[in-house]
Order: sequence, then C-alpha cells, then structure tokens
Amino acid sequence: MPDTTEQALPAAPPRRVQPALSATQLTKRYGDVVALDDLSFALAPGTITAFLGPNGAGKTTTLRLVLGLAEPTAGSALVFGRPYRALAAPSRRVGAVLESGDFDPGRSGRNHLRALALAARVGFDRVEEVLALVELTAAADRRVRTYSLGMRQRLGLAGALLGDPELLILDEPANGLDPAGVHWLRGFLRQFAEGGGTVLISSHVLAEVAQTADVVLILSRGHLVAQQRVGELPDPARTLESLYLELTTSEAS
Amino acid sequence: MTAQVRSELLKQRSTRTNAALLAWMLGLVALVVALHVLSFGIDDLSRESNQMKILGLGTTIGALFAALLGAMSITGEFRNGTIRPTLLVTPRRTRVIAAKVVASMLAGAGIGLVAEALTAGAEALGLAARGVQIELTAGDYAQLLAGGAAAGALFAAIGVGIGAAVRSQVAAVVGLCVWLLFVEPLLLSDVPSAAKYAPEASAGAIAGAIQSQVADTLIAPGLGLLLLAVYAALAGLAGSALITRRDVG
Repeated sequence: MPDTTEQALPAAPPRRVQPALSATQLTKRYGDVVALDDLSFALAPGTITAFLGPNGAGKTTTLRLVLGLAEPTAGSALVFGRPYRALAAPSRRVGAVLESGDFDPGRSGRNHLRALALAARVGFDRVEEVLALVELTAAADRRVRTYSLGMRQRLGLAGALLGDPELLILDEPANGLDPAGVHWLRGFLRQFAEGGGTVLISSHVLAEVAQTADVVLILSRGHLVAQQRVGELPDPARTLESLYLELTTSEAS
Repeated sequence: MTAQVRSELLKQRSTRTNAALLAWMLGLVALVVALHVLSFGIDDLSRESNQMKILGLGTTIGALFAALLGAMSITGEFRNGTIRPTLLVTPRRTRVIAAKVVASMLAGAGIGLVAEALTAGAEALGLAARGVQIELTAGDYAQLLAGGAAAGALFAAIGVGIGAAVRSQVAAVVGLCVWLLFVEPLLLSDVPSAAKYAPEASAGAIAGAIQSQVADTLIAPGLGLLLLAVYAALAGLAGSALITRRDVG
C-alpha cells in the first residue's frame, strides 16, 4: 500500500510516491475541435479528487483517455506508471464506471457481474460480495431493464469493485442516487481513500464535491483552469461555487 | 484467453438474443421449405438435384443466422455500451475479438447444424405429404449436417469480424442480410464461374447443397472449407485491426 500520510498537493507529489494516475500535456482533438488541450495533473495515493466543469469541458474525454478507450492526440496518461492498456490485470488496479447505462438491458445484474468476473479471473464469490456491498443482492436475478437509475449506478460501482482495485474512477457517480444513496457513497469513498485507495470522480454537484473531495480540478473548454485543495477554502461549498462560476463562465463568454 | 472465452459464452447464454434468433430461424425454415415444396411440380420434386436445392435453403439460412449471431455479439456491446466495461477488464482488444470468434463459432456450429436438420426434416415431411420419394442418400445427409455445422461456425466468425469493423448493429445486420439473400444469389446466377468461390457458395460446397444455379457446379467441399476459412480469417483480422485502432466513445 502507498504511504497515505503524505499530504502533498497532487500537482507536485514527492518523488518517492508514485502517483496513482498522472496526465502529462494530455491533448485530444477531433478534427478541428479541441476537446482537451495540454492537460497535466497527478493524483496522490489516498486522496479523493473531483473533476468539475460544464458539459463539454473535457471531463469524460480525459477519463476515456486515461482508461485506454481513446488515444490522445498528444501527451500521455499513465496509471501506476503505465498506460492503462499495458496493465497486466487492470481490474485489480483500477475500477471505473463511465456511464450509468453500460448494461445489456436483457441480462440480469448478477450475470452482468459474472461475465466481467470471468474475464477478470475473479471468483463468483466476489460477485456476491460486491452485490451485498451495493445492496443489490435481492434484485440480482432481475434483468437490468427493470432497474432504477440509482440501482444501475450501484451495479456499475459493483462492477468497478470486482477486482478490489486501488484506484477508482467514477463519472458522475451520485447521478440518480437518492439522498441516502449519496450519503452512503460519500462514506464509502472516504473509507476507500482512508484505506489507501485513490479516487477520481467527475461531478456537477458542487455541494456534494465540497463534502467529498480533497482536491478539485476545474476544467473549462478543455483547459485546466484551477486546482484547489478543498480543505483550504474558508467555506468550501460557497467558495467552490463562486470559484467555479467565475472560472467557467469567464472562459465561456 | 480461456477466461475471455468463458466470459463470452456466459454473455451468450444470459440474454434471450440467441433464443430469439433460433426462433426466427425455425419460422423462416418452415416457411421457405413449405413454399418450395408446394410450388414445385411432382416431376421436379422427384429429381434428386431439386431435392438437394431445397436442402440448400438450410445452408443459406444457417449461414445467415450464424453470421447475425456473431455480428450481434460485438455490435450489441457497442449498442448498449457494455463494450466499455468489457474493454476496461480486457484492454487488449484483439483478445476480446478472438474470444468472441471462438464463442460465436461454437454457437454458430449449432445454428448451422440445426438449420440443416430442420430443413431436411421439413423437406422430408413435405415430400411425404405430396407422395414423392426421397432420392437422397445417408451420405448426402451426413455431409449436409457436418458441412452445415462447419459453415455455420465459419460464418459466425465472419459475422464477428464484420460487426467489429462496422460497429453499428443495424448496418451489420442489414449488410449481412443483403449480401447473403440478394447480392450473392444474384452473382451466383449471373457470373457463376466466379461466384462459386464466394462465401455463400463455399458454404454450399461444404454442405453439398445450395439453393441456386451454381448447385450443379459447386467447388470441392475441401476447397470450400479452405476458402471459407480464409474469408473468416480475413474478416476477423480486419475487425480486430479496426477495433484496435479506433477510439471507443
């Protein structure tokens, strides 16, 4: 396990701690459209980092590049020092959920997880563990078509946790969760980070981020416009909102 | 690699897609065999070559549904988004495609076998109903079943490759249907000397039966098997190369 007592800013982790995730001058262009421009950041182990930004700011694009689903036009993204596609057993290091709808509606939740578990060489007993963890055991044999948005979010999280990873990457994880679910997720992520795990989430919900994240990265139009430790803000929820609005609207106008 | 194959086999078993494909296939076989048995005169029906051509319907239908099964195993993942979790667990995309090819070939062999058996059964029933004697030998039937299974397996691999290349489920399904039901039959009747080496005609050569003009000039079963294996390998390689190079949305 990495040294979790390290309190350095994620932008400049001390040399002896390998960042769980690092992006260096990451750039993605689609034709003439620049989705992401020269983005550099690093995540220190044991921290929760939140990506903030309006729709189209490049949050999901960054996550797709990090996870090897898309290739950067320039720059690089490394997880535990390697490109994602070069990891030997990626689901044991990284768990990720990109969209809450990534299921075959005709397949049961349990079979969705079992298919992933087989490919990841994870035992079916672990499938039952993660189903219990996200409280879906009772619904596990129902087809995903019958699940609510919150249940799909939890099923996605269960899939990400199958390999007991060290790094969690979650795109809008609180989307569709009820207040109790949001509360549970916050506690879960906090516990995960306290156990030495690293978390990267993207979010729109500033109040939620202020309560959950250690560090926020604010993206606007493909640029990193701010990087801020939440604990250093005087009144996190309120200052975060003014910071966000100032940085993302001035860029856009 | 075996881990990925087991995962793909579970994916195939855990939705109703394949059962639905099988049900559609049963209906289609019953319909087209009935139409053919009823539309031929008694004299035509009594000829061995025509009985063989009716059996050839099973070759085409088996090839089509095996190809659809293979194509849907990959385009379905793009359609509902499961391609993302699949590739997160197995980032080496060639390995994902190879596992889908293996799993689809197993299912495709079953599809091909069932299609031929159903066609033979339906034809036997139809002929009996019209009082026509069956002129086919046990050897014909053995080649039909074994060849149908082999052709189904290889067409399933072709389906996976095409599905991985085009990604869109609608495009893959329409493309395979148009090719197998219209384009190749047209080629077979217009330019049989060249078209007898095409995929569907190769499947016919393996099974010994195809429903078209080229039925009398089929290439040797071994050559058909070789050609169809080459087509399957080319489709698989093309699909694998394209899916590896392109971003996943």
